[in-house]
Amino acid sequence: MRFRTELKNIRTFAKLTAALSSLEKIAWVRVSDDTVRFTVIPDMGSQVWASLAMDFLFEGYNIQSAEANNTINLELPLQPLQRALKSAQNSMSASLRLTKKDGLPILSMVITTMTGEKGTAAGASSSVAAAAATRNRNADDPFADDEDMNLGPEHLETSLRREHEKVITQDIPVRVLHPETVETIMQPKVREPDVHIQLPPLLQLKAISDRFTKLALVPPGNKSPKLELSANMHGSLRLRINTETTDISSVWSGLENPELDPAQLDMPVDEHPSTKFREMGPEKWASVRVDGKDWSRVLSVGRLEGRVIACFADDHALILYVYVPHYDDASAEDSVVTYYVQSYSA
Amino acid sequence: MAILNFTLSEEGVTALRDALICLSKFSDDVSLEARKDSFTLTTLNITKSAYASFKFGPGQFFSRYSFQGTGPYREKFYCTLFIRSLISIFRSRTSVDTQRDVERHTVIEKCDVAIEDGEGISSRFIARIVFRNGLTSTHRLPFEVAVPVHAKFNKTDSPHHWVIASRTLRQLMDHFGPGIDLLDINTDGDHVNFTCFSEKTVSEDAVLKKPLQTSIAVEADEFDDIDVEDKLHIVISVKDFRAIIQHAGITGNVISARYSLPARPIQFSYGGEAISCEFLVMTVGERGSNTSHKTKKGRKNQPPSNAPRLEAASRRTSVAPSEAPGQDAQQMPPPPPASRRPPNLTPQMSAPRASASRLGAFDLRPTQQAPPPATHNSESLFVDDESWEPMRDEDEEEDNARLEWDHSAETNPAELRIKSMMDQTAQPAPDANAEDAANANLESQALEPTQNMSEVQNLALFPD
Repeated sequence: MRFRTELKNIRTFAKLTAALSSLEKIAWVRVSDDTVRFTVIPDMGSQVWASLAMDFLFEGYNIQSAEANNTINLELPLQPLQRALKSAQNSMSASLRLTKKDGLPILSMVITTMTGEKGTAAGASSSVAAAAATRNRNADDPFADDEDMNLGPEHLETSLRREHEKVITQDIPVRVLHPETVETIMQPKVREPDVHIQLPPLLQLKAISDRFTKLALVPPGNKSPKLELSANMHGSLRLRINTETTDISSVWSGLENPELDPAQLDMPVDEHPSTKFREMGPEKWASVRVDGKDWSRVLSVGRLEGRVIACFADDHALILYVYVPHYDDASAEDSVVTYYVQSYSA
Repeated sequence: MAILNFTLSEEGVTALRDALICLSKFSDDVSLEARKDSFTLTTLNITKSAYASFKFGPGQFFSRYSFQGTGPYREKFYCTLFIRSLISIFRSRTSVDTQRDVERHTVIEKCDVAIEDGEGISSRFIARIVFRNGLTSTHRLPFEVAVPVHAKFNKTDSPHHWVIASRTLRQLMDHFGPGIDLLDINTDGDHVNFTCFSEKTVSEDAVLKKPLQTSIAVEADEFDDIDVEDKLHIVISVKDFRAIIQHAGITGNVISARYSLPARPIQFSYGGEAISCEFLVMTVGERGSNTSHKTKKGRKNQPPSNAPRLEAASRRTSVAPSEAPGQDAQQMPPPPPASRRPPNLTPQMSAPRASASRLGAFDLRPTQQAPPPATHNSESLFVDDESWEPMRDEDEEEDNARLEWDHSAETNPAELRIKSMMDQTAQPAPDANAEDAANANLESQALEPTQNMSEVQNLALFPD
């Protein structure tokens, strides 16, 4: 079994890891020839299934596995991964390799970086550029001399404050999962939603949700206050907290209810539940109740800065689809992170 | 009458506080030693595996310094004080609540210290703090007269050494994750590797809870000076190293390390204009087979060290505490008998190289204590985006979680939290702050807006 790859899009990878690790410590990661999937299933709380194209996070990857589709299943602790990715940010290059150390499997992240100093950022970056230029020269010309040989006057001048390249190795413990142990884990199946709506900016939604949750924590004893989330097919989202002493709600309006793609439906659009909800007017809400603290953890996905579509199955389920933008390739199809938000019936 | 009288400038107060904070990471008590021309703070940790010393020259930090030795203290005066009570005295109160209330802007302007001792006089360390707003506060601390224990380091027996910018080491520490307790500094050809690891054994199903293991290879060229035997592994406690690097980073100077073999101490030293700092930390580790091969800086031509190379068999302990002449020996810690004691850790460790030579008499301390807040005040590489963090589970810390008004009209919540955490840990002794705290309590009962406008404006609730 082999897996090695160069990392790209490290900032997004780090943000995704941070969002997942707010829900659970350990993720199930499945890499295969074309997709990498991160799954997080906490004992209590919302599940996440993040399916990303391999070349969204990786490049020049190499997988060798005896399993079908060249699949490798790993259990991966998210906090060490997050820490390692932090080291990799602003690095010159970073690679990931599945290997063994002291008999235990690890994901070894090798990061080449310049630990630049803040005060003289310009000096540091110029030395980075100089080093990169040297590398390129060497790469272009296989017969190039050693770096020491082309010690020009320019080189001597910068050598005093030159920042050196450092190689950082971050070894993350992992566990390789047998295909049998994961084949029973299925992505939840949910009926067609009654309402789908694009959420307002998540930082705003999160700030208000957190405040509501705190308010509901006032009478000691109520440790897991429930927020009521409702949406209609006329662009409105309502967030409400209702306790013995308070009943507060916030309403957003003018949100978008995206059009359904008929090609992706099993039924004619006219028969889709959301069409019925739209016909029943703006007073027809689909509602679910969510745990305030869990919801707060879910909303931390906002750091990915993606578009978020919420799908409400009235009194049944809430699913968030987070479309993660490709920064370096605008034409590529967005990757989707799916949140099955733990919900409670009224 | 006062044996010692001195006045610390504002800068001196800061330097003293920084030194005390660093010392507090090693031990609860600090030994103070004053002579005519020097003022020294030292401490030895409880397992006697680490020793720290800060020596202040009489210039720069002291605007006045007078030592009048009498009686038994003709040459020098020494005593032992509780570090935390000292820190809380010297803590500048430019902290959290002053930003809400500029009137209470209380920066320490200077500090007069007098130490009284002698027949019929109670032994007191008296500090009079003069704040910039005109307030003064006086603190009288009792102290214990105890002969300070100094660890000795034999430079000539320690041929391996390197010098590097403290800032560089500090940046390295940023890459280390939580949960590690040992740092292996080893040489490999043209590189020096800083590898951190943990020796805590984990059960089969907890392998995923093992901490991140980080290794950083630094080119020998990056050192200002280096001359170390190749393949030499020196293992020290991460906690000690962090404490040292953190303080060294404040002075901003180069730090030099000097050592010989595993199971013998390593010396870290650095200095400023009027301060010199030295740390001796016990090591474990392993030596490569080819001891003549050396890691050196490429370009600089280092003259070969002519110190005799010690064989592992002939190791003497060089952390043997030295006493001032004429003091009797009972206060000495037992000299660590290197070879007599059996290894006190079972060789069941993740890193075989560490267990191989763990015959040192010094235990590395157990690490129940959490590591110090890794990078407070540091120019960390990383900026956390706080607002995305899920809500903290407040009621887990405090059973009856109550809704309270949000005082944090503060632009930098991360810094704040650390600050307040430090205050909590560093302030067990009652001091002038008690009054402030009482005031704060009173105020928290008054009504205040829950949020600043500036805090909510960017939430688009309030369009311009």
